[in-house]
Amino acid sequence: MPIVNELGFFEIRLESIGGLGANLAGKMLAEAGVVGAGLNGVSFSSYGSEKKGSAVKAHIRFCDMNTHIRDTSPVERPHVVGVFHEALAKTVNVTSGIHEHSTVLVNSAKTPEELRELLKVKAGTIAVIDATSIALQEKNRVNMAMLGALFRLCPFLDTDIMKGVIEKSLGKKYPQAVQSAITTFERGYNEVKFMQFELAAGDSMPLYVRSDISALGYETQPIGGTITNPGGSFLKNLSISRSGMLPVFEIETCINCAQCDTVCPDQCFVWEERPDRKGRPQMFLLGIDYQYCKGCLKCIGACPTSALSSLREQEGFADSHSVKHQFDLVTPV
Amino acid sequence: MAIDYEKEVGSAKVEQKFLYESGNEMAAYAAHQINYHVMGYFPISPSTEVAQFLDTMKASGQHDIMLVPSDGEHSSAGICYGASTAGGRVFNATSAQGYMFMLEQLPVQAGTRMPMVMNLVCRSISGPLNIHGDHSDLYFALNTGWPILMCRDPQSVYDMNLMALKLAEHAKVRLPVMVASDGYFTSHQKRRVQAFAHREDVHKFVGEQPPAGFTDTLDRNNPVTVGPYMNEPDYINNRYQQSVAMYNAGEVFEEIAEEFAVLTGRRYEMIEQYRMEDADVAVFLMNSASEIIKDVVDQLREQGIKAGAISPNMIRPFPQKQIAEALKHVKAITVGDRADSVGGHGGNMVNEIKAALFTYGNTTTKVISRIYGLGGKDFYAEDGHHFFQLAMDAVVADHVEIPFDYYGHNPGAPENAPKRLLKPMNFDLLKTGLITVSKNEETGKLSVRVPPVRSLMKKPRRLSPGHGACPGCGIFSGLELFFKGIEGDIVALYHTGCAMVTTTGYPYSSHKSTFIHNLFQNGAATLSGVVEMFWERKRRGELDGLGLKEDFTFVMVTGDGGMDIGMGPAIGAALRGHKMIIVEYDNEGYMNTGAQQSYSTPLGHRTSTSSIGKTQQGKLTQHKDTAQIMAATNIPYVFTGCEAYPQDMLKKAAKAQWYAQNEGLVYGKILIACPLNWMSEDKDGTDIVSLAVESCFFPLYEVEQGITNITYNPEDKDKRVEVSAWLKTMGKTRHLLKPENEPALRSFEGEVQRRWSRLKAKHEHPDL
Repeated sequence: MPIVNELGFFEIRLESIGGLGANLAGKMLAEAGVVGAGLNGVSFSSYGSEKKGSAVKAHIRFCDMNTHIRDTSPVERPHVVGVFHEALAKTVNVTSGIHEHSTVLVNSAKTPEELRELLKVKAGTIAVIDATSIALQEKNRVNMAMLGALFRLCPFLDTDIMKGVIEKSLGKKYPQAVQSAITTFERGYNEVKFMQFELAAGDSMPLYVRSDISALGYETQPIGGTITNPGGSFLKNLSISRSGMLPVFEIETCINCAQCDTVCPDQCFVWEERPDRKGRPQMFLLGIDYQYCKGCLKCIGACPTSALSSLREQEGFADSHSVKHQFDLVTPV
Repeated sequence: MAIDYEKEVGSAKVEQKFLYESGNEMAAYAAHQINYHVMGYFPISPSTEVAQFLDTMKASGQHDIMLVPSDGEHSSAGICYGASTAGGRVFNATSAQGYMFMLEQLPVQAGTRMPMVMNLVCRSISGPLNIHGDHSDLYFALNTGWPILMCRDPQSVYDMNLMALKLAEHAKVRLPVMVASDGYFTSHQKRRVQAFAHREDVHKFVGEQPPAGFTDTLDRNNPVTVGPYMNEPDYINNRYQQSVAMYNAGEVFEEIAEEFAVLTGRRYEMIEQYRMEDADVAVFLMNSASEIIKDVVDQLREQGIKAGAISPNMIRPFPQKQIAEALKHVKAITVGDRADSVGGHGGNMVNEIKAALFTYGNTTTKVISRIYGLGGKDFYAEDGHHFFQLAMDAVVADHVEIPFDYYGHNPGAPENAPKRLLKPMNFDLLKTGLITVSKNEETGKLSVRVPPVRSLMKKPRRLSPGHGACPGCGIFSGLELFFKGIEGDIVALYHTGCAMVTTTGYPYSSHKSTFIHNLFQNGAATLSGVVEMFWERKRRGELDGLGLKEDFTFVMVTGDGGMDIGMGPAIGAALRGHKMIIVEYDNEGYMNTGAQQSYSTPLGHRTSTSSIGKTQQGKLTQHKDTAQIMAATNIPYVFTGCEAYPQDMLKKAAKAQWYAQNEGLVYGKILIACPLNWMSEDKDGTDIVSLAVESCFFPLYEVEQGITNITYNPEDKDKRVEVSAWLKTMGKTRHLLKPENEPALRSFEGEVQRRWSRLKAKHEHPDL
């Protein structure tokens, strides 16, 4: 292994949203190390009430066969971070705890310099792979392309073993997917690009903050766990749940039938009351609040006209096209 | 599941192989090698995987354990108890609330001396609900009379599971044995593990069959009476026998562990001591954290500090003598309890350790007690250093400054204290007046008028956006549509399930009106209590100052199997006739815990406990007809609905509200899509539930005052489709369309048609 921490571990953290297969990729990566490379290792994921589309982490530790694996705590000082979903950086500190020699791999179409800016990485290696595009082209999954790129960052792992693992885990159930998974894996391996950034003289890496410190404490938490702030979840931003596609609203062809709203799981549609042609008050659809849209696209099927259609999400589109909900606030902003 | 990649013998007498697996996988692996007779189980995180792995292995013919999916842990424990009286080997796995729900059964299992093995995958207990690992469920086990083996890692989960059975069945013990491992830390972390390479060797170790000569309720020539009525003076003698057997279990464990060590090269003492031989300061921790602390000991030893760590491999019987012996020359020890015995001036372990020191005359070792790691809060090496520092401070001061405290809690910054953000909902907007229900006094029938959905877009939603459900989840589109038909204020209670966990992730709540969550099974009873308190306080005039304009409508929301485990309380509430609505979102499984089968899962559908393999093709039994069961309680109104038919749902919601305010309990079932676990496209949910209606799998109807009315008959409109047209839209059912599964498909179609025909007959004949 190129580098290990004081306990003898090479540590990897994967940052993703549920549904992109980071958990599976983590398991396969760890298995390739333990089964194929003669290493010892441990792998696990963060678990909670989070569902598909929510932020998740996977943790992998490698060590030699003589090192005892005792630590069950999450990887806080990773040598490699794999970011499966670029937009995560908006709400999660994906590079938390990196060293100046760590590598941050990002699924992105951006350049390493742009990503360095976006992720505010002071030093380290930025590796980029456009896993989403590769997956779309190869009709396979993002995690296979990411896995290929991660293999490049772990030179002690054997790619032939990995291909064997892919064949074994997919071959039985989805034999037709094996070849495209291997191609996707290989493209990830071959197409990843790197750029190294030195720490500026006199500068230091940000201190890591433990991930288990709560904002509310025993002096501020209402007793009994009761939540006394009704409806506060509107503060959350669910944009990261979208995995590529979003609905686009065209007001001209909308007949205000509300069928989109009826099937929307996430209250994304924003309405306004105003007089109709006969002067009677009536509800009119104004648009979509993309802060809550998870990109399920149910609304498009429900729409009887062409007012709703789907689009591959481009950066900035949601922000510039969002129609915001107005909430009845105690203290108006 | 298990990947075999190496065979090795080493110092061991049996051939072993390496696996790379988690604690849950190893519990299942051991159980499948033992090939228990029966497992009664019920899903709960984080132990559910054990049953899932066993189901997967069963579907591929790797064992033939009878896996019985129960209707709740009280039942799973009952199934296990019954099975254990009947001469075979019995296995179970549970966690937290599941353990609490079966608690009543456990001292019976021990007191009547019926061996079995249960894995407790330790997790914190409610409330508030927390699914992560601590020992608060384990501490309830201390007084159940079960010997308790402890597992620090996946290897020991495997090893202890093999030893547990041998211990349970030993003639000097004859007790059920618990195997406790840490939820997520051990249950879900994969490690290199060694296992017996051959099942025959496992059987040689545990015995091919359970030893003969004990209670067997299936032995017709030797009838027995199990579980008699026993008053004093006999009862204390029964209990003394049990006490003797429990202490025997300690000695027998040592014998078994020795035999196991010879076979495998892995040795388990009653307590594990790490660098304790000359230790001045020590830390006592249990299970996963007791491994982390060893790294800390090594680091301190490098600094010249004589540090050591101890942890038990067995806590019932408590290794009192061994611990006293280990601490003889230790100057100070910090004991970390991962659960509190609230008010006991320390967790259970520290108080038992203090008792051990006292019993063996040690009055010099300083003992510091800390409660740590609650609710799955991680234990880092730096926390271990802190624990040692406390011990070293006590040595220097010759005094323990703070004998008992919590560790890892924080006061919180005042500026982060929660502030109210939203105003109360505007009652006038909630009461649109657009929905009217009136009773025709002559016919006794309700007439309902509802507007187009568009007009109701002004009505505030009951939930804020921002919940964490999966993309395309049908729960909230279904529920909000239902709530659109409800006028005025509601108080909602949700059973544990996806709807609850995704709307209440602390410190956020999506609920804009008052919301209660209690337990998975007890919602109907809980809301009954709220309803009766409402009426009683209203009668006493105590609600006048609380801003209420009209009576609340009380709505209980259930789903994810809540009507399985909660069926009893729901029927009880129905029979008592409380003025409330029970609305079930039916996603055809326990989706919240990872898509296990519920009774509502239809025949042949694939879930994580109704796997597809060469010996099994999905669920083995037909789906539960909850609407008909509830109709049989003769409540005033029962309905079914789905989001694909919005006007139909709005009318039913309006009627439901009228009956719940004027007459009594209402039950409604809304079919909703679960794209993740139905293995369908996120965007297709509405179409899929629509096909379920049009195939007559899920007819839209109501039972009003006992009279059945089909509100949408696809046959009338020539819209009826084959069941297969619905099944082909989901990954969980596509296998049913293969030629080899035709008998199952025919059986399912037949059941759908039979229920539909009966429903039509009821629709036509008001007396049915």
